[in-house]
Amino acid sequence: MPEIANCIRRLRFDHDEMTQEALAERVGVTRQTIIALEACKYTPSLSLAFRIARAFNKPVEDVFRYDIPVQGEGPTP
Amino acid sequence: MNAEQKRAWLGLVTGMACVVGYVALVPFIGPMAATAAFGLYGLNGFAPFIGRKEHADERDRSIAHRATLGGAMASYMAFILGCMGTWFIAFAWLGKEQVSVHLMGIITYLGAIVFYTVRSAAVLVMYGRHVEADHA
Repeated sequence: MPEIANCIRRLRFDHDEMTQEALAERVGVTRQTIIALEACKYTPSLSLAFRIARAFNKPVEDVFRYDIPVQGEGPTP
Repeated sequence: MNAEQKRAWLGLVTGMACVVGYVALVPFIGPMAATAAFGLYGLNGFAPFIGRKEHADERDRSIAHRATLGGAMASYMAFILGCMGTWFIAFAWLGKEQVSVHLMGIITYLGAIVFYTVRSAAVLVMYGRHVEADHA
């Protein structure tokens, strides 16, 4: 599981319930990729992360969160 | 299902058809002539015509890249094991000092089939991990 979490799903709903398809079109990826991102099954490239953040008019750190694992522990919730 | 998955299914089905065809033909025409069944893999040549206009994004390219690496690794292993196994069977079991030159072509062809079949399976597995979230 990637250590990069995101709140894309919540942000979509905050933006007039934007559909996955609409977000995918806006950032230039397929809907499958948005699905994988929301499920935290895929870690996006830096470029895609910035495009997604820009689509929501947010800084990238408001959309993505990197949980630095502490030695001997998993990612923090 | 996107174009890459459709191409992967074609690769997997034709790869399986080769194996099944070979096994089915061996009892009737012998192991060497039965390699004609490998020709079925030519059907995979239609793969580039699938989804030519479909857009592939960075995740698709990442999956294709990783699957290609997996296929290449499996193919290399199959090729080396095929070469070593052939000599081992010839020398250790059959007591022969020579093997048929035709085996080299068959082993090479097997390596190619392993490459595309493993690559196809890897593509489907990697996309399949996200299937349960498809209806979210």
